Amino acid sequence: MNVSAGTYLRIQLQRWISLIFAPLTVPSVIMLMRFGFGYQIRDQVHLRREYRRILDSNDAPLMICPNHLTMVDSAIIAWALGSPGWYLRNFHALPWNVPERTNFSHGIALRVLSYLFKCIPIQRGGPRKEVQATMSRFGFCVENGEVGMVFPEGGRSRSGRIDVTNAAYGVGGLIDSIPRCRVLCVYLRGDGQGTYSNLPHRNERFSVIIELFDPKTESSGLRAARDISQQIVGRLAHMEREYFDDR
Amino acid sequence: MNRQDIFDKIISILAPFIRNEDARDKISLKTHLLDDLKINSARLVDIILEFEDVFDIQIEDEDIDLVETVENAVQLIESKLGA
Repeated sequence: MNVSAGTYLRIQLQRWISLIFAPLTVPSVIMLMRFGFGYQIRDQVHLRREYRRILDSNDAPLMICPNHLTMVDSAIIAWALGSPGWYLRNFHALPWNVPERTNFSHGIALRVLSYLFKCIPIQRGGPRKEVQATMSRFGFCVENGEVGMVFPEGGRSRSGRIDVTNAAYGVGGLIDSIPRCRVLCVYLRGDGQGTYSNLPHRNERFSVIIELFDPKTESSGLRAARDISQQIVGRLAHMEREYFDDR
Repeated sequence: MNRQDIFDKIISILAPFIRNEDARDKISLKTHLLDDLKINSARLVDIILEFEDVFDIQIEDEDIDLVETVENAVQLIESKLGA
């Protein structure tokens, strides 16, 4: 995946500025989630050990594909998978994101924060060239050793359950375009989470299930994109069934 | 295959994706797929792939942007069948 020299410099600049501010921003956001909102995550030690093992075991690109129920899912998942100190030493493991631009364009503070948390805003359903340029930038990061996180359902699930008929095929296309890309499916759910919302409830306890897999397809082009997206969403739906069966 | 045949097949392909029930019986060449039929934009890929299968044609990724109305779809398919 190729990007222009200007785009490459912008990516490097964002990465370095994010890293410089990370000793302040990463612990602050985690403290806010833990003590401000009272959030807790089950089996965090196990999850972090497993994420570390996945990254250490193989240098192939890694894309995290979670279900999507709240506006802060990516922050909670990042917190579940690594400690602030570990992310400072392994900054590539703090995932890049492609959030919907309109959700993160309210005010300069939110824009700065999203920049510092390795976000590349995207306009979903926007002009194809613009969307492709953003996805190329994001894909370039993942192809070059950074971890990416993208929601394969396209948006927050209105029903609160994985909608297997609503896979975003752009995600499959992106993964198909990154050689050897592995997918880490993540199922995240707070105990009190019914359907979708902006934020989880205060003092919420989260369960996080992770599963690594290598998507395979015999197809190419749009069919490959559809095939891979459906495999990922199907895997998440399976994880969701297991989550509810275990309750 | 004439224009009416293509139109009829397109309507049957679109049918499962239409979310605006009121517009279902009033589809014309000018009908906009997203605005009038309220088809989910993410499902346009499914529709394009369905066109490929049903009409036995190859459609480029970029051509998806050309398909906004039923007429655009008819023209695209006519051009591919004629190529």
